[in-house]
Amino acid sequence: MAESRYTLDELEAYGLDVRRLPVEQQDVLRALTPAELALLVEIRSRLDEVTPDVQAHSEIAGAALF
Amino acid sequence: MTAPSLVLRTTLEQATPALRAASARLWGPPGLTRRYVAYLGAMHGVLRASVPLMELAAQHAGPGPLGGYLRRHILEERGHDGWILADLAAAGVTPDLTAAPPPAVARLVGPQYYWILHHDPVALLGYIAVLEGNAPAPGLAPRIVARTGLPPGAVRTVRDHAALDVAHADEVLALLDALPPTAAQLHTIVLSALSTVGALGDLYRYLSDREDNHG
Repeated sequence: MAESRYTLDELEAYGLDVRRLPVEQQDVLRALTPAELALLVEIRSRLDEVTPDVQAHSEIAGAALF
Repeated sequence: MTAPSLVLRTTLEQATPALRAASARLWGPPGLTRRYVAYLGAMHGVLRASVPLMELAAQHAGPGPLGGYLRRHILEERGHDGWILADLAAAGVTPDLTAAPPPAVARLVGPQYYWILHHDPVALLGYIAVLEGNAPAPGLAPRIVARTGLPPGAVRTVRDHAALDVAHADEVLALLDALPPTAAQLHTIVLSALSTVGALGDLYRYLSDREDNHG
């Protein structure tokens, strides 16, 4: 496992929902690089701004095509 | 060592719920017919780049598991941009293929050319993982038909990708663990994937706002 850079408290302060995750996944997020975390936080903020009150119903969510 | 697929999946899980909400906004009333046609037009711009991107990445990857995967996947994805044109035709729309695609499409696809040409073709795996991992849900195609009155022939791309892309997403994650990428390569893949999530959300917003503004 890569070195931890962030505590769970710090990740929560960035808005990440980490407490409910298994330890293995918490460790992944604690080891994000500063560039990865910054991009993740920026994207979450941008997307939340656009869709603050839209629920993603599983029967219709998804639109990506490759 | 933590599996590379777990790193990518865990990171993306922090961003994709908001992305799914953005896509759900796309499929809501009113104006779904117009929005769906605009979505097909934009997605044609995305899909027509899929095979060329993989060809370029395979050329830069050379022999080995990444190149092998890309060359196999090219065969699976070839022609899917034509499916969209057929969907549009079934919807009674003749697209103007000479018109410039929306900038949001270029902002989604464009970074991959940069990363492949100037950094590492492995970046494309982040793009593929996000697009294949956020495919339309199986219930979407029948919903579009029911709510718009469009014929079933107008939703083939959405319907078939809902069926195909779950396996394709699993395949790219399995490849990640099989490679496995170096720490630096995994960082590139994660950045590419997050960049794709952001740009995809922007494209959804562009399509939703544009059609909402039509009333």
